[in-house]
Amino acid sequence: MTATKAARASGSTWTRSRGSTWLRSRTGARVVGIASSIAVIALVELLIIAGAINAFVVPKPTQILLAIPRIIAEENVLHRFWQTAQEVIWASLMLAVFGIALGSLLFRFVGLRLAFEAWVGALAAAPIVLMYPLFLVIFGRSTTTIVMIGFAAGLAPVILKTLDGLSGTRKVLIDVGRSFKLSRGQQFRKVLLPAALPAVFVGLKLGLIFAMINIVGVEFLINFGGLGQLINELAERYDLPGTYGAILFVILASVLFFAVLERIERWLRPVE
Amino acid sequence: MALRAPPPDPSTLLDVRNITKRFGTGDEAIVAVDDVSFSVAPGEFVSIIGPSGCGKSTLFNIIGGLTGDYDGSVTVEGSAVSGTHPAIGMVFQEESTFPWRTVEDNVAFPLEIAGAPKAQRMERAAHFIALVGLQGFERRYPSELSGGMRQRVAIARTLASEPRILLMDEPFAALDEQTRLLLGDKVLQIQQTLQQTTLLITHNLTEAVQLSDRVLVMTYRPGRLKRSVRIDLPHPRDSEVVSSAAFGQFVAEIWQDLREEASRGVEDAESRVRKGAARR
Amino acid sequence: MAAAGGMRPDSSSASHRVWLLRVAFVVIALLAWEALSRSGVLFKDVVPSLAAIGRALANVLSTRDFYANLGVTAQEIGIAVVIGGVAGVAVGIMLGANRFLSQAFESLLLYLGPTPKIIFFPVMIMWFGVGTGSKIAMGVVSCFFPIAISTAAGMRQIDTVLIRVGRSFRASTWQMVKSIYLPAMREPIVTGLRLGLGVAIIGTLLAETKLSNRGLGYLVIQSYALFDMPKMYALLIVLFVLSIGVNAMIGRFSHAQRRALA
Repeated sequence: MTATKAARASGSTWTRSRGSTWLRSRTGARVVGIASSIAVIALVELLIIAGAINAFVVPKPTQILLAIPRIIAEENVLHRFWQTAQEVIWASLMLAVFGIALGSLLFRFVGLRLAFEAWVGALAAAPIVLMYPLFLVIFGRSTTTIVMIGFAAGLAPVILKTLDGLSGTRKVLIDVGRSFKLSRGQQFRKVLLPAALPAVFVGLKLGLIFAMINIVGVEFLINFGGLGQLINELAERYDLPGTYGAILFVILASVLFFAVLERIERWLRPVE
Repeated sequence: MALRAPPPDPSTLLDVRNITKRFGTGDEAIVAVDDVSFSVAPGEFVSIIGPSGCGKSTLFNIIGGLTGDYDGSVTVEGSAVSGTHPAIGMVFQEESTFPWRTVEDNVAFPLEIAGAPKAQRMERAAHFIALVGLQGFERRYPSELSGGMRQRVAIARTLASEPRILLMDEPFAALDEQTRLLLGDKVLQIQQTLQQTTLLITHNLTEAVQLSDRVLVMTYRPGRLKRSVRIDLPHPRDSEVVSSAAFGQFVAEIWQDLREEASRGVEDAESRVRKGAARR
Repeated sequence: MAAAGGMRPDSSSASHRVWLLRVAFVVIALLAWEALSRSGVLFKDVVPSLAAIGRALANVLSTRDFYANLGVTAQEIGIAVVIGGVAGVAVGIMLGANRFLSQAFESLLLYLGPTPKIIFFPVMIMWFGVGTGSKIAMGVVSCFFPIAISTAAGMRQIDTVLIRVGRSFRASTWQMVKSIYLPAMREPIVTGLRLGLGVAIIGTLLAETKLSNRGLGYLVIQSYALFDMPKMYALLIVLFVLSIGVNAMIGRFSHAQRRALA
């Protein structure tokens, strides 16, 4: 920020370095970021028109963009979106209930925690979604399979962060509870759990993201469900612009989902 | 030289007898508190002062019932203290307000635990909030308040449980001097109004003299009671009293004992560092 | 400020209890499995007996076919992590070192990171064909993001004091890299790689299950298609043991390194 310093030192912010100052500012950077992304897309468009990139492998970006409204109209995208959303909601509910419960259980019984926390940690790193053929066998080709995979994939972080949050409660707050002679249950409900809430939400956020990613992924893999299935279908139909368009749509939806979760996390944070 | 235990007195509220607390075992054992005995009469404001490392906080935890496993006994209004006691209200040194609750929900907390209905809780809470001078801030969250204000919330919360004795562990330690003085005034006002029996642990000499009826001086580790000084200054203790000659005399008197203990503490710390360095 | 939960088992009786609980858990799980298998509650082959799974496991581990496929998968993952790792570290360093670039492009990484990558697979197939190329590409796309993000964050966290110390001694760029940046970056890069390896494994294997005729993923989906359940369970067990094992090894390696440097 030396340009700004120099500007300030010279007694005014409106010196000729204002242009580059703005460019160096955060909004300036963001604009450059977006502009260069658009520039890259435009470049791709030109290369395809010029024949440097095979149009049968990469459709023109304009075509892809045009495909989006088409697939929304023809392929019942909103209905599919709702289907995927429902699966995510079910998985989220299960994650919240079982994840927080199991995390609390591990917290309550130190023996269990010592024995199994490391295992849950290992589970977090394990490729659970690879078991999808197994889930298919057990639950059939159904929504249940998809929800269960989402749940299984997102469970570990919720348990771990709940445990983390509960055990990270500041000692003085626990002492306050003790000084008021809170029962164990009261201590848990009124002191430990609220104190753990920010961490619990971080865990839920992670769990939800894993769940969503795996839900859409499995929909694609087993050709069943909502948005993931759409991509698979369009790909099998060799509808290139449609496939790219659908992928783009799903990416946008998941970015939105992530942004919403971030927003909620930030909203919960200032209480601390 | 340990202070001899006074004969049991029916008009004492808090009776602390022969408290000895050791940490560790065998040769490595540290005696944090050594045969401490004293009592506090109803309505009295007693301060315990001593250098860092003299076991004041250990004593605080023992009297409050947070620490067990010690020799001796603590009795409040005739009933023995084992584990936390509803008659003892504790105010901690660290930030202890619940950050997820508003000021009024914080202060109403003990009433909530006791099962009081909401309207009654809020009314009582408002009373104590006003007592500490925070009226108007009921709906705010602790994160919106200054450190001093948060400590006032903590004090109000403890007072709301209407304890027979208020036990405070250096509640103003984290605050700057001016805030300290003002809060000290406030606390004294409240104490006089409520006739609240109070035991304050502090390392601040002027604070101890300003607020207390009696000051107990502790030695450096192992912590014993060295002296008990009766502060015969009149109430209310405004800034005039604080700048009076009598005040200065009390401070000087206690400082003599305190200085000796404080320098022992410093020497001890230095020798520990030297020993540690020699080992390497 | 001490927190609520105590942690280390500081007595041998506590560690005994840990082992007891773990063994008990495993034993109960195995017994429950066997009971479920024999009860016939679920359709017969869905829950094969432990013996059947054991046999299949022995079978799988003794055929050359398995190791050939394992090799294919390992190769795909290895190449994917190398490519994704180099690209990720490079991009991460650039973003972490330059504030402007970071503000311009890093949010792109952060928002594109938590998205389902497998849906790119049809595109990868179109670009790289149906062979190992598309699987490697899947792995690269999966692991690039966590590595880049972790590296960029690590770059930013390098204590600026240390950098200024280096500059005040007029260290050359190479000396700065060697003595300040590299040591400071080791941990974030290793963390990123660990995460990246995990997702690369998932991405590559999922791609194999979708469209492939070689690799562990292919073996899994093939046994599913043939309804050879014991074999599928055996393969999944091997898969899990391997990936958890590799992860644990990296973890132990990085801890040992840290202790060696301390």
